[in-house]
Amino acid sequence: MADQVKNQIGKYILIGTSLIITILIFVFPLASASEFSFRGNFGKGHSFVNYTWLIHQEGFLPHLLLSLQLAILASAINLLLMVPTAVIANLKFPKWRPVLDFICILPLIIPVVSLAIGAQVAMPKSLQNSQFELPFFFVIIALPFTYRALDIALTSVELKTLVEASRNLGANWVLTIIRVIIPSIRSGITGALFLAFALAIGEFTLTSLLHWDTFPTWTVNASQENILGAIALSVFSFAGAIAILMFVSLIANRRASNSNLKIEEVSE
Amino acid sequence: MKKGAVVKRSEGAAHHSSIFSGFSKVPLPLSPFFAFVGFFLMWPILAVTIRSFQGNKKEWTLENFRSIIHGPYLHGFVVSLKLATYTAAIGSLIGGFLAFVIIKYAGRKLTLIIDSTAAVFANSGGVPLAFMFIAAFGAQGVLTKSLKSLGWDIYAGKFTLFSFSGLLLVYTFFQVPIMIIVFKPALKGLRKEWGEASQSLGANSLTFWRRVAIPILTPSFLGAFFLLFASGFSAYATARAMTVGNVPLVPLIIGSLVDGNVIANQVNLGDALAVGMVLIAVISMSGYLLAQKYAARWRTK
Repeated sequence: MADQVKNQIGKYILIGTSLIITILIFVFPLASASEFSFRGNFGKGHSFVNYTWLIHQEGFLPHLLLSLQLAILASAINLLLMVPTAVIANLKFPKWRPVLDFICILPLIIPVVSLAIGAQVAMPKSLQNSQFELPFFFVIIALPFTYRALDIALTSVELKTLVEASRNLGANWVLTIIRVIIPSIRSGITGALFLAFALAIGEFTLTSLLHWDTFPTWTVNASQENILGAIALSVFSFAGAIAILMFVSLIANRRASNSNLKIEEVSE
Repeated sequence: MKKGAVVKRSEGAAHHSSIFSGFSKVPLPLSPFFAFVGFFLMWPILAVTIRSFQGNKKEWTLENFRSIIHGPYLHGFVVSLKLATYTAAIGSLIGGFLAFVIIKYAGRKLTLIIDSTAAVFANSGGVPLAFMFIAAFGAQGVLTKSLKSLGWDIYAGKFTLFSFSGLLLVYTFFQVPIMIIVFKPALKGLRKEWGEASQSLGANSLTFWRRVAIPILTPSFLGAFFLLFASGFSAYATARAMTVGNVPLVPLIIGSLVDGNVIANQVNLGDALAVGMVLIAVISMSGYLLAQKYAARWRTK
């Protein structure tokens, strides 16, 4: 009995302390920024004026469209490169997986600043003169996250068994890929897609060091005139990112538990 | 690891033990990946390394490296290392504690929400983060003003948000979530049976933590510390948005060199600084990988 009471007290102390920390570090800044972002002109009253301010700035649409274009390109390259690589490595060359694991964390190790300097030294001039050099480096920067998303999806289903079953039932490779492999790792693919897209559309360091002007770098410049507008944009981007990621992880979670269920049913 | 076996891995466990042994040729289907990474990642780093050993007339020299270990550049490294160490220490302690509470008490739904929020915050080390903290802790910030009305003027002393201590505060915002993400799998790997076993052997919970849990968790904790260190060391965007040249961090120095403030007598100084950063990052990440390997011993089976 005494032990139970002690455990209860310990529980409340632990949860209470972590709540206080969370509020101090995360909730206060977010709440303050939200409050700021709804302030009216010249800090008077509250309104949406800071959220609409940016839209009316010159260059808003061109820069946004450019960033969208680059992000879509980066996600496309990412999927075309990483989905086959991850699937094939998983199915046919498991010996190579540690090598892939290692290479795919390299972008986390190598500072983006150093990569940017390297890009200026090493890339052919023709590529450096085009803004389409950016998507390739966005793919590199996103690599640790996209590979991980795909890898987790691939290891959570018994892909080898599924593929063998499909082949035994007479399906050819194309059919197997379309009907078996892709559906069973769909959560990983969506996750990788979102991560690649989100990283590409918000990338600042490499873009600014390579002297390109995309939506993130343009907003930084534009917001020097209106700090409230900049804060509103920050709040908006945080809220948007959290919403998207929660959506993705919800889907991924449901899919993962569904496919596990299927395997169990089959093996019984 | 058996050839062809379907390897079920626990989260975060890495198998880097056999990386460079027994590989001959890259299989054809994997070659696009290697070509891509080779051209857009390895080649730039190699090129910058080569150029860092060259002088203005492309002659081989160590002059660039001699320069960066003196004067303002050395000072930049010292400040960067200090910032990385402090933020890693703060982040790993607070994040480790939060991860423990989450594992112990949070339900499935709450964990899911925390996970995705942490993932967003962990990648938030950018410009938006700087603006958020200006709104809260800036001279006109909401928190600054409410604390002042309670009688505590945080700007009374030397503190400003746009300084070293300000950066410490802001970096905590993304270091803590990274710690939660990295350290949670390790805590999850602490098996219930171990607690039960030690209890049936007569240990109380303090003894369990001292003799079982902490020894098992130490490698993971150190590994996470190194990871946070690397992320704090190479962060650029937040510091760039918040400081005005008053905090001499290496990434910022490189940035200003790239922006055209080149010292005429040493055009390749920035390359040497970039290589120096890679070196420090590689050392700290080797610490991470090594620690992961030790930690994986408890989780592979």
